[in-house]
Amino acid sequence: MGVKQDDGSIMPTSEQEKISDELDIRVKKFLRGEKTNLEGLQDKKLKGQLAVREELFGKSAQAAAKAEKWLLPSEGGYLEAEGIEKTWRIKQESIAHEVDILSARSQYDIVLPDLGPYTLDFTSSGRYMAAGGRKGHLAILDMKNMSLVKEIQVRETVRDVVFLHNELFFAAAQKKYPYIYNRDGTELHCLKEHGAVLRLQFLKNHFLLASINKSGQLRYQDVTMGGMVANYRTGLGRTDVMQVNPYNGVVALGHSLGTVSMWKPTSSTALLKRLCHKGPITAMAFHPNGHLMATAGKEKKIMLWDLRNLKDEPLQTLPGNADTLDFSQKGLLARSTSSFVQILRDSSGTQNYNNYMTHKIIKGYQVEKVLFRPYEDVLGIGHSMGWSSILIPGSGEPNFDSWVANPFETSKQRREREVHSLLDKLPPETIMLNPTKIGTVKPQRRKEKKTKEEKEADMEAAVEAVKGIEPKKKTKGRNKPSKRTKKKQEIVANAKRPFLEQQKKEEEQVVRKKQKVIEQVELPTSLQRFSRKKSAT
Amino acid sequence: MAETKRKSRGEAKGKRGKPSKKQKKGTDTRERKGPRLPNALRKELERLNPVDEGFGSDEDQEEVYGRDLYEYEEELPEEESKKNRRYDPVENLEYQMPEEFEDENVSSDDDNDTRNAGEDGVEDEDEKDDDGRQRTTRITSEAFEGKKKKKNNVVISEAYPESEYNPTRDMLEGEGPVSIGDLLDPLHGVSGYSKLRKRIHHLEKKSVPTPAPLPKADQEKLERKAAYEKSKEELQKWEPIIKRNREAPTIYFDDDMDLGFSTVGAIASEFEPRTEFEKKIASLVYDDQVMEAHQKDGSRLLELNKVSAEDEKDRHNRMAKMRSLLFRHEMKSKHIKKIKSKTYHRLLKKDRLKASSTQSQMDPEAAKELAMKQEYERAKERMTLRHKGSSKWTKRIKERGIDVQDEGTRTAIAEQQHLHALLTRKMNSMKDGSSSSSDDSSDEDDVDVYSAGSDQARASKLLEKAKEKTLNLLDEDDEVPKSGVLSLPFMVRGLKKRNEAAAEEAKLALQEYESWSNQLEDSNGADNAKVAPPSGRMVFNASKKEAPESSNKTQSDNKIRSDNYYGNSDSEDDFEPKENVDIREDRSSDLQNNGGINPVLLHKEFKNHKDSLFKNFDDIVQDPGPKTTHEVSIFASGTWKKMKGGNNADANANKPTRPLESVVLNQNLQEPVKDLDEDSDADSEGQMVDGILTSDPKVESSYELPSQAEIIRQAFAADDVEDDFEKEKQEVLNKENPEPEKPVLLPGWGQWTHVQKKKGLPSWMLQEHESAKRMREETLKKRKDAHLKRVIISEKLDKKAEKLYTKSLPYPFTSKEVYEQSIRMPLGPEFNPATAVGALNRPEVMKKPGVIIKPIEFEEVNPYERIEEQTQSGKKHKKRNKSKSNSSKNGTKVKTKLKN
Repeated sequence: MGVKQDDGSIMPTSEQEKISDELDIRVKKFLRGEKTNLEGLQDKKLKGQLAVREELFGKSAQAAAKAEKWLLPSEGGYLEAEGIEKTWRIKQESIAHEVDILSARSQYDIVLPDLGPYTLDFTSSGRYMAAGGRKGHLAILDMKNMSLVKEIQVRETVRDVVFLHNELFFAAAQKKYPYIYNRDGTELHCLKEHGAVLRLQFLKNHFLLASINKSGQLRYQDVTMGGMVANYRTGLGRTDVMQVNPYNGVVALGHSLGTVSMWKPTSSTALLKRLCHKGPITAMAFHPNGHLMATAGKEKKIMLWDLRNLKDEPLQTLPGNADTLDFSQKGLLARSTSSFVQILRDSSGTQNYNNYMTHKIIKGYQVEKVLFRPYEDVLGIGHSMGWSSILIPGSGEPNFDSWVANPFETSKQRREREVHSLLDKLPPETIMLNPTKIGTVKPQRRKEKKTKEEKEADMEAAVEAVKGIEPKKKTKGRNKPSKRTKKKQEIVANAKRPFLEQQKKEEEQVVRKKQKVIEQVELPTSLQRFSRKKSAT
Repeated sequence: MAETKRKSRGEAKGKRGKPSKKQKKGTDTRERKGPRLPNALRKELERLNPVDEGFGSDEDQEEVYGRDLYEYEEELPEEESKKNRRYDPVENLEYQMPEEFEDENVSSDDDNDTRNAGEDGVEDEDEKDDDGRQRTTRITSEAFEGKKKKKNNVVISEAYPESEYNPTRDMLEGEGPVSIGDLLDPLHGVSGYSKLRKRIHHLEKKSVPTPAPLPKADQEKLERKAAYEKSKEELQKWEPIIKRNREAPTIYFDDDMDLGFSTVGAIASEFEPRTEFEKKIASLVYDDQVMEAHQKDGSRLLELNKVSAEDEKDRHNRMAKMRSLLFRHEMKSKHIKKIKSKTYHRLLKKDRLKASSTQSQMDPEAAKELAMKQEYERAKERMTLRHKGSSKWTKRIKERGIDVQDEGTRTAIAEQQHLHALLTRKMNSMKDGSSSSSDDSSDEDDVDVYSAGSDQARASKLLEKAKEKTLNLLDEDDEVPKSGVLSLPFMVRGLKKRNEAAAEEAKLALQEYESWSNQLEDSNGADNAKVAPPSGRMVFNASKKEAPESSNKTQSDNKIRSDNYYGNSDSEDDFEPKENVDIREDRSSDLQNNGGINPVLLHKEFKNHKDSLFKNFDDIVQDPGPKTTHEVSIFASGTWKKMKGGNNADANANKPTRPLESVVLNQNLQEPVKDLDEDSDADSEGQMVDGILTSDPKVESSYELPSQAEIIRQAFAADDVEDDFEKEKQEVLNKENPEPEKPVLLPGWGQWTHVQKKKGLPSWMLQEHESAKRMREETLKKRKDAHLKRVIISEKLDKKAEKLYTKSLPYPFTSKEVYEQSIRMPLGPEFNPATAVGALNRPEVMKKPGVIIKPIEFEEVNPYERIEEQTQSGKKHKKRNKSKSNSSKNGTKVKTKLKN
């Protein structure tokens, strides 16, 4: 058996099966969940409609899977060890010999001893990099042709740099305030309201700039209209560990008490608090699919957490310190302490991370930030003496989607995309732990108190219903208009009574509560001796 | 008598048995009954028969009785038979009486016979046979009959109403019927007899009496039922079509589309010359010769173009005619010019106007002229104001009433009014326009003012204007009213005072203007530079720009700026003198405008307050450096003081509290981290102060390992983290579901105190408390984080996000799961391949605008066919449609046959 191919040869069965299996996996990905279960449905029409829909979905997924299989140009790969070789023993130098010239070019060290340590940020396409030296050095680099776009010296402490929606704008958290600069280094805005910001994060889909400042205040600012969307006291102290979950836009903060709190701009309390470590949290990172979180604590532990089904225990606990953590697009986890960088990999696909690669920079260099470059197998390391870049095979997504992020974007395309992304901007309330719930039925409130208007409407409806009833025709003497009107009024009053009683009760309750408060507050001195003492009870 | 009767009966029987054998048999069975009873009565009898044997015997008797008698059967009157149905057997007997009267009807029977005889000529033989048989088997038949009666004891009604014109056989014969057995007996021994007998036997066995026709209502009901079945069948054949249409996700109505010609060429190609003229043209155009000539080199065309002498002559004549016509026209116009009649000229003018209006529409030159003319008219109208209706003539006419006037005056008045309306409209519109323009200009002025004299001339003009106005105000002599309230002495005094104050103010303003104008003259390039286009940095400058506007700051613009600057520099000097210099230097180097100026020198110069130089520098600072402006604004607003305070605090925290912290703040974990960071900040600051381009060994020192104390703190930190978290969780839980209050005993409240002492709290209180507690526990159990020790999930509902959910399940869905699963797939073109997007988003009905939707047509559809096959992709469908439409065009409508 076999399928005849275009060139006339026959494909062997095993290969065919392999391909179909592969396709199945992809189809599953594009089906985005289980098929609708039609068995319990009573409604025949709906059943039919849904069946047709499902079929269309299936076809669409099939087509998408096929397109993905045959049209994606390149495949990702990993370092593979032979025999007693270990992947983590392979040095950057040996990798440099094997790879092509273009890739080898991305192994370099930039030594800037004066203004370090440097923090880094890449645009979503990985084309541009922003570097911020602690002592006021800001630079934008074009990574494709290795050129400096602009470099400025702000003569202030720079704590964090982050690109906004494209490479034209970036924000820098400086000594007193965060500032927004454009690519030419022109200062566009000073965000005074934020105060002395420690970390900045940009939410791409929502166009929000999130910041955490020295007094532990989390702020969200809309960068399109400039409005401050939210400003919350975290109440958990000062922190400089902040990471946004790329999947749902939830901002996570790591605190000194070992807790991680997750925030959204429309809620003043944390959506989720989780005790992750026994010591202060030093670093945090999210897997791009949003289901995995890595945290590092001062107690020399790195933990991996599943965010979909919350459990008390982590998925995996790894030993070691980490001052900075980062997940790559393909799910490699980089951690770094002082001058040592380690890359962990989930080799089996069961979320069991193992050592994959290690790298040591010159002793004495303190790593400030590790960051994978999107769409490239490159890890950027910002350290106290500049920054360096090393090759990590299999870290970047090999195929870029030019609708999402295009590393070869022209300025025209960039403009187009800017407009499109602005049109597709999501309102801040769409940030939630599980964004797939959007559009579903509203979760029931535990007890819903009716609003005043609703109550009135109910009463009116009841009265209307009663009014509609025609009174009986009584015998001659009893059918007087006066009696009829009286009866009518009576009926209406009867209908209203339960509502009014309810209202009265509620009012009384409110009054009682108020009285209680008042009594507690001030009792005349003569009566104070009768009041119950709090300390006694 | 009996013979004849029998015969006639036989005849009747023969006649009856004509249509078919079965019917014959049926009639045979029917014959057995004796007296003819009315329908209703018979039915009643039928009903009674099985029960009442006596009645049956009665009947027997009757039959015996009536064998040799004519039986008269009278129909019961309708009303009796139908309405009053209370019959007894006794009543029934009464009807035997009339049977005896039957004799009189014999003649009529005979009549019937004769008539029948004529008709039955064909069946003579049969009759004879019958007669013979009856004759031979009379007795046996009787006996047979008697036996048989019990078997078929059913009363059978006649198909037609009984009357003297159609009597029954029994009536005619007066005897029992002849059975088939009787008829068969003579045939005994004839070949095929046994066969025949068997058949007969068989038939007899099966024979069932024909039931009486049902009542009309029942019959109709049955008929309706049958009709319904039929119609149902008819309709059922539509079912598959309807089903298909219902189940189809999309119904297409854009088939059978025939829009006719699609191009002009197609229309032209169909053209056929019909009228005489068209034909002529066509003949000329499609002339073979001409066509040929065109196709060839064209020399032949020349030949064809040759003009004959006659034609030339004709042309000449025509020309001459035209010339003469022109001459005549000229003469006529000369004559017309001399005419003095007004009406004539008016008419002429009208004509001309019409012509000109059409012309004006055609070419711009004429339009322009017309516009000029209209303008002139308007001006004239403005002068005369004829349209206002204020002239004596119009007034008088209005007084008299317009209705009274003759046509001419009325039209004149109407014209005036129309003109008035037109002009006023024009005026209004012009007003609007002018106002807007003035607004614009004023806006511009504002802009000018804001940009603080970008255009010097303008600014000076403005100033002059203002000056003039104030001067005017000053010069104005207030006329003090000499009478009324204002003339009272205290009022006068008050007025004077006010005037004086105003004058003073005006003077002040004048001074201000002057100073400004001076400054305007002074500042040459500097001010111009300030006109830099508004950009993002303008935000910071805003307060300063408004400065010249506000009269409170009477100082010159320059001064304000310098003030700001000094404020700035002073403060920075206080704070970090060196940094100030550095910043200056850096900026200047950045700008590269201030080439070669030593920062230190510059600084000195600033201190010297040299205006010109200062101005120079200021320009540079102003020009592109957003930072300077920003800082200026900071210090102008006085926020720096705050910052300074904060810094001081920081510094304080750094120095003295350090040793303390390590001991005291063990439980407070936030502090150390903060401290660390602040330290680093401070360190870096220090380096910044020291110099930018030099590196310090100190840089590295800040990244040294944390001190021992800190390590200890960190180690201790772990101890109570979990407890803390648990406490926090409890707090959150208590906040969201507060614990119920403990019941409190009020002595003597509700019960006697001694009882209370004995029994303690009343039971209802305890119960209430218990239930409240239980409720709380239940709600806590329901929480998502109930079984998670280290997780707090907020149960707070986000009101803003509520709009992203549906309030209730959308209509056809009944289960939440199914609905949620059905919406899991995105439908947009970003998420689906192009081949699937169309199908996913196709509307329920596809129809092109303007297409007439035809009523549904019957076509055979396989009901078991799957929907999928019918809902093919659009292309296929269209193809099918095309073939369909083609076939329909040809006139033979071919339906799409069953697929598969």
